[in-house]
Amino acid sequence: MFSLALKNILFYRGRSITTFVLTFFSALMFIAYVALMDGSHGSMLKNALKVYTGAIEIYKKGYREEGGNDYLIEDVASVEKVLSKIEGISDYTSRYETYGLLSSKDRSTAAMVAGIEPQKEREMSELYSTLVSGSYLSKDSGNCLYAGVDLVKKLQVKLGDEVSFVGSASDNSFAADLFKLCGTFKTGAFEFDSTAAFLSRSYFDELMYAKNKASYINIRLDDLDRVDAVNEEIIKQLDPQYESVTWKVLMKSMVQAMQVDSIFGYISIALFFVVIFFVIMIFGFINVSSRVREFGTLRSIGLTRGKIRLLLFNEIFILSSAAILFATPIGAYIAYYFSLHPFVMEGISETYKDYGVVSDEIPLAFDLFTISWNVAVIYLLNFLSIIYPIRYINSFKPVEASHHV
Amino acid sequence: MIQLTEVQKYFYRGESREVHALKNINLTIEEGEFSLLNGPSGCGKTTLLNAIGALDSVDSGKIYLDEKEITTLSEDERTLLRLNEMGFVFQSYNLVPVLSVEENIGFIMKLRGFDDNEIKNRVKEVAELLEIQDKLQSLPNTLSGGQQQRVAVARAVASKPKIILADEPTANLDSKNSIALMNMMRRLNEEEGVTILFASHDEYVIESVRRIIRLNDGSIVED
Repeated sequence: MFSLALKNILFYRGRSITTFVLTFFSALMFIAYVALMDGSHGSMLKNALKVYTGAIEIYKKGYREEGGNDYLIEDVASVEKVLSKIEGISDYTSRYETYGLLSSKDRSTAAMVAGIEPQKEREMSELYSTLVSGSYLSKDSGNCLYAGVDLVKKLQVKLGDEVSFVGSASDNSFAADLFKLCGTFKTGAFEFDSTAAFLSRSYFDELMYAKNKASYINIRLDDLDRVDAVNEEIIKQLDPQYESVTWKVLMKSMVQAMQVDSIFGYISIALFFVVIFFVIMIFGFINVSSRVREFGTLRSIGLTRGKIRLLLFNEIFILSSAAILFATPIGAYIAYYFSLHPFVMEGISETYKDYGVVSDEIPLAFDLFTISWNVAVIYLLNFLSIIYPIRYINSFKPVEASHHV
Repeated sequence: MIQLTEVQKYFYRGESREVHALKNINLTIEEGEFSLLNGPSGCGKTTLLNAIGALDSVDSGKIYLDEKEITTLSEDERTLLRLNEMGFVFQSYNLVPVLSVEENIGFIMKLRGFDDNEIKNRVKEVAELLEIQDKLQSLPNTLSGGQQQRVAVARAVASKPKIILADEPTANLDSKNSIALMNMMRRLNEEEGVTILFASHDEYVIESVRRIIRLNDGSIVED
């Protein structure tokens, strides 16, 4: 049957070339499109997680809903001890966030002031790399304040100026101090840049009476795809007074935006596939209906309906395989090349700045598993397209088919 | 041996029984016969041949091939019966256009699972008998009508079926090719012992066969 199918393909060239070309372009476009979609989402996620939010964050239960000093992690060391034993975690750092009043000589504004571990944050977030002026924090930077550019604008201060802080310490006592503006940063996310300011924890902990305490612990992973598995492990090992949540919960709005984008992406590709499916099916049907007498002969001399089915499946299998054989390496190369050399789309970071996207670069995702299922979908589409022509041809009795005009 | 008892066949158009194509046919064809179904156009020759060849069903009556009833077989069982027991020669040759002459002749043997050497030797033998040995690598559409009909005969006979059914095999041939074809068919019958049943009203065929079964209006009127 295979060799007869091959001969049919070579004999009926018009139909074969059409099916080949349609399958080739479908496979190529599908691989590239999915790679672009996955790549852009991956890039959004990577950017967003790099800025400040962690892949996983650990809170004391109630903090995310209520906030405040009643829901602080009271023993950071014991939590970190648990985390150090869990596989898949590449790094973690504790943050102490509080809200208070920052005032310059002329202006005051509410702000989030956080105590961070400068060296660890340098590795884990984009706080260091988004430095615009002055200097980043260090362990011994004392009362140096590292603030967002838009917050600095609001306060109308410049590097070296003093800013007063009034807030509430971890034991709910009055906390006040004078900070010195040492550096400014710009992530591109206006909300963040206009409200956030940081100090080194070694200084801030003294002021806030926050030694070994934290608002939450931020965790970075070796492999972001394993986030759910690692999170499950953390939950298993952690004291039940704490909760561990992934970026999917922390950045719900971004996840929803990506889901909506994916849905629209798959809808448009599904429409494209419907067109391709019907074109391949119509060509297959035209081809088969022009060969009714030939199939009648084959049935008359001893080919069962099952063998006819096999023959036509072989024909579509050979054509699909040939097209996919050419399209897959090209599609994979495109995905691979643009994963290393991303597209630059001017303004994309502006559009998605609310999600923390800081780059205009959109890489394609190169993933062999994704390419494999893309190819499987194309095969399936081609196989489905031949079902109706097969049913049509097998509906004839041999004698009817032999005399078909 | 082929045996038909009280076979009836109607052709339906819509709900009404419009054409009574075969009327109470009782017929026996012995092994090795060289026979003809003869009669005017529309008398039921081809319908009877198709019924004997399990290409078409009948409405009532029974058809036996070597004591096996074929009228009750499923579509796929009938296909396998045709493959294993019968050879067909059609009026319009019905060769597979994508296969060479050699592949067309050996096609049924291949379907039946003969090994490649056996197929090759048999194809050569039959091609020589039918004088088409120099056309083995050609495609059917490059051959004349007479050559194509000889390929069709070669295909029918190559796998040594018990019976060959030939429907108007000379209809598209000139007189020279018709005589040559009938001579070859008779040689096959005599040398290979194949039972051959024609459906034709061609005088060359009438002159060549040993038994003539005359039909008229769906009934056997003379045997």
